[in-house]
Amino acid sequence: MEQKAIIALVQSVLAETRGFDGYVIVRAQSRREWGMRLSNGHFERVSTGADNGFGVQAFTKNGASGFATSDVLAEGACQKLIEKAIQLAQRNEAIGTKSNSRIWEAPQVVAEEANPAQKAFGEIPLAELEKMVMTLHSRLRDAFLEGVWQTSYRQVEEIWCIGRTDGTNVSFVIPRAVLMHQGTVRDKGKAQSTLSHRSGVDASVLFEELEDHALERKALDRAEFARAVCGAPQLPSGHYPLIIDYGLAKGLAHEAFGHAVESDHMKESVLGEAGKLRKGLRVARPGVNLIDGPLPGDWAYQPYSANGLLRQTVTIVRDGVLEAGLGDVFSAEEAGMPVTGAGRAESYGHIPLPRMSNIRLLVDRLLPLAPLDHLMDEVKAVRETLIQHGELIEGEKNLLLLGYRGGQVNPKTGDFVFQCDGIIDVADPTLPIYEPSIFSGKILSALEAIRGGLGEGCFDAIGTCGKGGQSVASSGGSHRYLLMDADQQVSLGGEHA
Amino acid sequence: MKLVAQLEELLYQAQHTPKKEELRLSDWRILVHESEAVSLGIKDNTPGGVYTPPSYRQGESGEVFLVWADGKCSQAMVQLGSDDDAGHWQQELAQWRQASYEDPDAAHIPSPAPVTLVTVEDRAIHAIFSGDGQILFDQVKRWLTDKPSKAKMQGSIQTAWGYRHVRTSTGLAVTYQQSQFASWFSFDSLIGGGFAKRRLSRPEEQEGLWARTLNLYEAMQIVAPPVGPHTQVILAPSMTADMLGQFILPNFSGDRVLEGQGAFPKESFLKNKLVFHPHFSLLIDPLRPLELGSYLVTAEGVPAVRTVLVHDGRLQSPYLRIKDSVRWGAKPTAIPQGMAGLYLKHKEEIPWGEALQGVEDGVLVLAVLGLHTQEAVSGSYSLSAPHSLRILKGQIVGKTDVKLTGNFFTDLVAPTTKAALSDLDTFPYLMITTGVQTL
Repeated sequence: MEQKAIIALVQSVLAETRGFDGYVIVRAQSRREWGMRLSNGHFERVSTGADNGFGVQAFTKNGASGFATSDVLAEGACQKLIEKAIQLAQRNEAIGTKSNSRIWEAPQVVAEEANPAQKAFGEIPLAELEKMVMTLHSRLRDAFLEGVWQTSYRQVEEIWCIGRTDGTNVSFVIPRAVLMHQGTVRDKGKAQSTLSHRSGVDASVLFEELEDHALERKALDRAEFARAVCGAPQLPSGHYPLIIDYGLAKGLAHEAFGHAVESDHMKESVLGEAGKLRKGLRVARPGVNLIDGPLPGDWAYQPYSANGLLRQTVTIVRDGVLEAGLGDVFSAEEAGMPVTGAGRAESYGHIPLPRMSNIRLLVDRLLPLAPLDHLMDEVKAVRETLIQHGELIEGEKNLLLLGYRGGQVNPKTGDFVFQCDGIIDVADPTLPIYEPSIFSGKILSALEAIRGGLGEGCFDAIGTCGKGGQSVASSGGSHRYLLMDADQQVSLGGEHA
Repeated sequence: MKLVAQLEELLYQAQHTPKKEELRLSDWRILVHESEAVSLGIKDNTPGGVYTPPSYRQGESGEVFLVWADGKCSQAMVQLGSDDDAGHWQQELAQWRQASYEDPDAAHIPSPAPVTLVTVEDRAIHAIFSGDGQILFDQVKRWLTDKPSKAKMQGSIQTAWGYRHVRTSTGLAVTYQQSQFASWFSFDSLIGGGFAKRRLSRPEEQEGLWARTLNLYEAMQIVAPPVGPHTQVILAPSMTADMLGQFILPNFSGDRVLEGQGAFPKESFLKNKLVFHPHFSLLIDPLRPLELGSYLVTAEGVPAVRTVLVHDGRLQSPYLRIKDSVRWGAKPTAIPQGMAGLYLKHKEEIPWGEALQGVEDGVLVLAVLGLHTQEAVSGSYSLSAPHSLRILKGQIVGKTDVKLTGNFFTDLVAPTTKAALSDLDTFPYLMITTGVQTL
């Protein structure tokens, strides 16, 4: 469905709710996706797909809600769905649910945003995309014959329209594209895998990669590193001065701090007190800042919330002090923070939750680091820069953690764990490599341990946020590397028994 | 007109009387789901709040797999359009053709084979959709009434019912009804319990799950002595499932084995290499009535069969979809539905109550942080498990925070590893000797 057709659908659904004395939010979405996966020189899968549907969130006049969704757009389906949503809201009111009437206070917004993609979905025929991806995949295989390689490419276009009883009608287009190389290497009887990606909003990522082969270089470097990790020893568990790359920094910012300031989590968050954001709390050293907001051209770009409000850029931590949270219209006030349009949903079939978009961890105390083409050259440059500025902690290991494999946080207790691809001791001039080891601790201690940054800002670390069982694009980053002091509450895992 | 009927008509015509010769099909397969689902949640002790309201979902969608006359393949997700416009489907067909690719091993639609019947529908669930869904509201009310007074409760109940249609150009035409019921709850986001099957839970199952969770929650309020280097680690059934899902199941996926991306090469399967202790066997069984992993036919139309992956510790077969089975030179196997349908068996399993009595110095791990970040191929893990439960002299005595370091393949080979049966779960408690430290 095209943007105009979706807007018309939302208007027609809303028109059918005029007799209802409560409030209704209608979300409609049309999603198209093309994907392909190549493995060891041949196509494993090429797929196309589309998903159109809409959801109706109804509120009784007292603020009890019900939700109904359908991917069937046939005549009669709309009326049935509206009736279902209203009926469920009324049942909910009867069981004494906690009412929430905040949506009545939301400002009316009317906007129709143009598609920000440079290459429209479908502009490059699928057959041509297949050829381009096969070319990139073949080059990679030829360059690293010992690896088992999979290459995948996915492009998505989501057209959203959100309409509300107050006349709000917001529509926008979210295009996304990602090229990924996954390699498995074996050495000394062990296997390690590695994943590198290049993301953007459309097929331009393929044209750019064919031009500069930046992802290929990264994948090859990571494969060499993975091979070295296969034979690497384990680190003794302990507390070390750390240097983390921007992928890990994004993980830390997203999992450890971002989720802890989302307005729906404040009753259970380590950054909340009596259900309110602990504004004014010093959580990091002066000069540390944490910012969340959509960036045009980014993997997780979304200009409006799924409740039809403008998405704002929020400085969560300013100069080391907790300043603001990510609030949606339903829970921001109760959580003691302003509404920032943070509601996002996986699809029309999901209830929006307060979520991050692109989150970045930035510091004022910055050491220069020129980007270099190859990983180990860059690691050497990190070591030299640290020595030059007297930042290498003498007499102990200074460990550089490379690659973000994911992580998990308990926002209630503040416990976090992250995993990396491998570790390098930059205090040792031979730059010895160690097996990946769990990076864990308490989130407030981790933030407090950040003492500086290395290099320019890199905000293209992408992922998928799984909060609430939904899958929503997320992204972020920091300076190329962040420096962290050793802290008794932040540790690297341990040796086998 | 139903989606499955529209697709059948379209693909039959494209096979026998195509509108354009370049759009001629030689074979095809259709999978369509028609479903309805209702759900209700609890957040922070509030039932049906704005983030977890009572919800209804209706869907009719599926996927097609096509083999064109020139042997190329296409696959696409499909859904019911806003009308039955034949022009719409012809456009789709042309786009699917454009997306076609060479994959000779996949271009194979088997002839229909006899289907073994297994019950996958609970009529009581169907009644929820034809009635008022009161059962969901009653269950939530009961939870909130019975919960510990100081606990902050989260929870959810979801039930679904619908039709599954599989059609192939070789003559398979299967339509059956299936149902699903899933519920979970947690106290203070630390201790929880869950149920997921193709039937409603029975009162004794609800009571058992509730009582177990309550006992663990009470133990969690007491601080216990720290673990020592010889403390035995016991994985709770849900943890056993999570570890198998992270380290074992991916390495039995036929495509990963064939592409050399798994922990075990093809030769190891052909030689029935010993990879677990001989007491362990692992199988996929989609023929257990009303279990979540049960089905009549796979998404590719292959009838359900029991498939042994590991027998007495020795590799038998990976799980094989049609394409992988062609490459492997064997019949397609059963396919797990996530972790549902997978079963780990130990020859000397004893009931958990009995096993617990014999634990002098142990720690019961209920959940870990960051399991999904661990390397599946190597089997190595380095995990933190805050809020584990200490066991001393056969009794759960309180909470402790631990860090685990080891290798799950090594754990499954070790003669010291034991399993204990849980009457509330499909996976056993797994009692292992591994690296454990205070967090």
